[in-house]
Formats: sequence, C-alpha cells, structure tokens
Amino acid sequence: MRKIPFFFILISCFAISQNKQLLYGFSEIPQSLLLNPGGKVTNDWYFGIPLLSHIHVNGGTSGTTVYDLFANDGINFNTKLKNAVYSMKPSDFLTFNEQIEVFSGGFKIGNAFEKNQYVSFGLYQEMDVIAYFPKDYAILAYEGNQSNINRVFDAGDFKASAEVISVFHVGYNKKVNDDFTFGVRGKIYSSIMNISSTKNNGYFVTVNGTNNFYDHIFNLDLEVQTSGIASLTADNTDSKTVVKDLKKRLFLGGDLGLGFDIGFTYQLNKQWMVDGSLQDIGFISHSKDVENYSVKGNYVFEGVNPIFPESGAGQTAENYWNDIKDNFNDLFIADTTYNKYTTWRPIKLNASINYAFGEKRSKVCDCLFDKSGYQNAVGLQLFAINRPLQPQLALTAYYYRRLFKGLQAKATYTIDSYTFHNIGFGISANLGPINFYLMADNFLEYQNIYNAQSVSLQLGFNYIFTKHED
Amino acid sequence: MQGFKYLIIAFVFILVTVSCTKEVDFNQANNIQLTPVFESSLVYIDEPANRFLVNGSEITVLQDSVNIDFFNDQFVVDYLEKAEFLFQTTNTINRGFQVQVEMLDDFDRLQHTFTFSSSASPDNSDVVTEHVEVFEGNSLTALKNTTKMVFTLTILPGETIDENTIGRIELKSKGAFYLNVQP
Repeated sequence: MRKIPFFFILISCFAISQNKQLLYGFSEIPQSLLLNPGGKVTNDWYFGIPLLSHIHVNGGTSGTTVYDLFANDGINFNTKLKNAVYSMKPSDFLTFNEQIEVFSGGFKIGNAFEKNQYVSFGLYQEMDVIAYFPKDYAILAYEGNQSNINRVFDAGDFKASAEVISVFHVGYNKKVNDDFTFGVRGKIYSSIMNISSTKNNGYFVTVNGTNNFYDHIFNLDLEVQTSGIASLTADNTDSKTVVKDLKKRLFLGGDLGLGFDIGFTYQLNKQWMVDGSLQDIGFISHSKDVENYSVKGNYVFEGVNPIFPESGAGQTAENYWNDIKDNFNDLFIADTTYNKYTTWRPIKLNASINYAFGEKRSKVCDCLFDKSGYQNAVGLQLFAINRPLQPQLALTAYYYRRLFKGLQAKATYTIDSYTFHNIGFGISANLGPINFYLMADNFLEYQNIYNAQSVSLQLGFNYIFTKHED
Repeated sequence: MQGFKYLIIAFVFILVTVSCTKEVDFNQANNIQLTPVFESSLVYIDEPANRFLVNGSEITVLQDSVNIDFFNDQFVVDYLEKAEFLFQTTNTINRGFQVQVEMLDDFDRLQHTFTFSSSASPDNSDVVTEHVEVFEGNSLTALKNTTKMVFTLTILPGETIDENTIGRIELKSKGAFYLNVQP
C-alpha cells in the first residue's frame, strides 16, 4: 500500500464533493476567504447580499448515473438495474452538498497607514449527504443466498451520513509582509439534523452445516445515530412548531460544535505563489433529541430440532422454538438508545501552486490592475476531503485571466472520482460596487444533465468597497 | 465594453440554466422486479436408536409441534412465489420410519400434510432417502396460512429396539424460497 505511487492512489480513491476548485484562490470574490482564511484580500470592506451572497450546490455519483438507469431507451429497466448493481463497487458513492450564506461581511483593520489585517464573519447553512453503495446488501437482495453459499456478505457495506448544520464564523487575516499572509477562522456549528451510520461491521454467511444442511452465521454490529430527527417526527408535532424549532436551531439553538480553519499564502517570488488551507477541523457534540438504533450480536442458525429438544427433559419443542425466536429477535430487533455522540466534520485540505504571467499596463483605462500587474495565472490545485470510507482527492489545473477591469474569469480542468474530463468555468464581475460571480463545472456534461456524474454550481452577489479602484 | 461583459454573463448563465437533457422515464422504477432465492435450514434430527426407549420399552410414535409466524408474514404472503422443502433422511437402524408433517392454521385447521419414509437398514449401513415437497398454487396458499407444524415420527414395525440396538436416525432439511418482489 505504502509503495503505491501517489498517482495511483489519486485514481483509485479519487472522488469528490464540496470541491470548489473555481472559487479557491479567486481573491476578487470575498467568499474565497472561506476556503482559505489566509488568502489574499483585495477589498477594503464588503457585505454579502443576504441569502444571495453564496449559493453552492453540488451533487455527484461515482457510479451509475441517472441516465444509465432511467434513459428512455427501450432497454428493460431490470437489465439496467442489474448492470448497475454488478458494475458498482462498495466504494462507489452518491453525494450532495449545498450551502447558502445567510449573511456575511468583512472589513480591513489596522493603523490608518497600513491596514494589513482583515476581519470577516458570517453565517451559512450547509447540508451534506454521502451514501456509499451497499453492494453486498444489493447482491443479497438481488440473488438471495441460494447461489451464494459460503459467500461472506459484508454488513459494513452500509455506510451513510447526512447532516444539516448552520455555521457561524469569524475569521482573521493578516498580511505580515508583501510575501506572507496567514489567517484563521473560528467556527461555531449548530446541528439542525444529523443521521450517521458510518461504523458498521459484521457479516452474514451461509455455510454447509453439521447437524443440518446449512449453518447461517450472523455476526452483526450496526448502528444508526440520529439527532434532531425524533422530535420532528413525533406524533404530537405540527408543522408550526417544526418550523419554529428549525429556525431556532439555525441560529445556534441546535447541538453545538466548535471548529476552525487555517490557511496561508506565500509569494515565492514575483511570479510564483503557493498557498494552502485546512477547513473544518472540528466536531459537533450531539446531545439534544438523540435517538440511536443498534443491531448487535452473534447467532448461528442451523434449523430446529422439533422432536428432541436439545436442552433436555421438561422442555417442549415449543419452548425450544421460542428460544430460537428470542435469539432472532434479540439480534434483529434494533435496540434504541439515547446516548449522546460526537461527529467530526469532514476536514478539507486545499493547496495550490500558482504562476502569474503576462504583465500589462492598461491602455484602455488608466487604472491599476493589481500591484503585480499580471493578467494571467496558471496553477495546480489539490483538494482532499476526509470521508467515512477513505479520503477523496481531486487535482485541478487552472487558467485565470483578467479580461477587463472588474471582470475576471477562471477555467479549470479537474481529475476526480467522477470523471477525467471535468471542465469548469467561472467569472467574477464588478458592476460598480456590486460584485457578481457565477461558476460551474462539468461543462461537457451539460449536454445531458442526467448523464452527469457530478454537477457543481456556485453563485452570489456582494457589495464590495475597494479604495484603490474606481 | 459593458455590453460585452453582459454578453459573457448572459452566455454563461444560459449555458448553466438551459442545459440539455435527453429523454428519461422515471416511471420505469415501477417495473422493478427482484427474484432472489433464499435457502434456509429447517428441521433436523440426529438421534441414536436408544432414544426410542422409555423405561426400557420401545415407543413407536413421537409427536411435537412448532408454532411458526414466518410463512404468514405479510412480506412472504405478498412475494413468495414458490417454495421447495427438501428432506433428507439417513437411517442406520434396522427399522423403517415415517415422518408425517401436518400444517395447521391459526384455528388448528389442517391446511396441508405430507409424509415421507425411510426403509430399514438391516446391515446398519446408511440408507439415504430424499423427499421434495413443492409448494405452488393451492399448496403455496396452504403454506401461507400455516402457523403451526406438527411432526409425527413413527417407527415402522420390525425387530424390537432395545438398549443394544445400534444405528441412528438422521434428518436434515432445507427450504428454498423463491421470491418475486415487484411493486
């Protein structure tokens, strides 16, 4: 394993959601500071247009697409389903990630001559879902065990988590000198809802038995943890209280957690620059409204002996049969517990190396483009996110260009678990103080969106004030 | 210049929002059909000849019953298309035997019955017999009504069993359940 070349790892576990490769490093957009609190700051102050400053949607599957299954192509649905079940691996997954910024803002601080520090803050709501393909469960449901004697069905194939949270954050960014900038961002998470089932273990297997044809061996250790769900689905709740409850949780009234982001930017020389960040190093402690379900135990079933109960005299076959039934119930009827639990946020890593070129003084207007004066940049970005089964990675090559004053564009080519031909495009435009940005990837897939393995979209409006321009 | 800016914005916006789709039909999901076959061990017996002695004298009929709430489970009732029970007996006692299985509903009404038997083994070598009971049509309906099974083991006439009788009776059985799951 350790000797497998990096690139092979990249291909084999390559897989992503939440990658905002277009926004990362796009310093004209204030929200890029959320990806790297130590990024470059180009404005003096800004505020996001409430609810519109950052809208992000990303969905993807590393396996079968919607089109593969539901295309109106005359092929029998069950044939397509069969192909999907047999072609996907347990590491294939489905993800969905969505973020909406409720409010945000930022401003420079420091002495009047050199305001080299920047404070930013905001509240955003995030939903994150990941479900792995439960391959062995699917095969068992598809074939049964008759044709799978001695096959070990892995109960751990069931792995999924879903969370809805809100995040209140305050970030601090300091430009130490012309070359080095760093930043940190503290976060308070408020969990609105959480379902987590990521540490499942065990197996089911049918083997040839001794007393009877088969021994059916169950070894199960499964658990689903939930918080914020039970009270919403309880019988005596109505929609009014649910909405009230959710609002309260959005504004720090849910299960709370803490976390932070760190990041830096370092200018190697006039043209080369590196930066990096870690996001969401943090946890949420779930204690309110917790309900967990677990199925745990070992049991070997070899059938029943109807006439000669094993455990000797006095016991009728019915007692004996009831014992067996109890064993099954003990194993399969889920235990409900109310123990609090902790979930860790998926840690994200971003890093990039950038080369700026094409120095140009504007002839169209007499304004400054940037201190560097470079119109273009190319670079490589690495993104990694910690996921229940294994980290997922993406590698992006990009080209960035200032088209006009107040209009920048970035094009990306990304290799990740979904595809090898993910092309993205994003722009940021300033119309007076209003900043608008729009970015989307997987452009090649837009010819048939149902066949897309992943789609990602970000857009937003900000009001930006920059002293040096205009 | 401003116009060009708007043009680019409009272009990107159109590309994103008016993306194409090819025809899909989500109603196909209603055609889903799963046909797994599950096999499970059922009953088993493995007893030496002297288990048929009570206080030194032979007992020829043994009977007991089990309550089962599996066959009348709603999932089974809805989706079980066919079942096959395989009974395999191995007899090394010099006496034949017969097993009768009676399947009763909640009100102890007989729904279905079947018997299988094994001949004696004079030289105490393995006499293996197999019986397959198939549940389809009426017998499948009977199976789905069954909540109680009565097993009666009868030792067929022959040489008297005593403490010194050698050999044993073995019964193994399994059921194959053919499901057809569709909405």
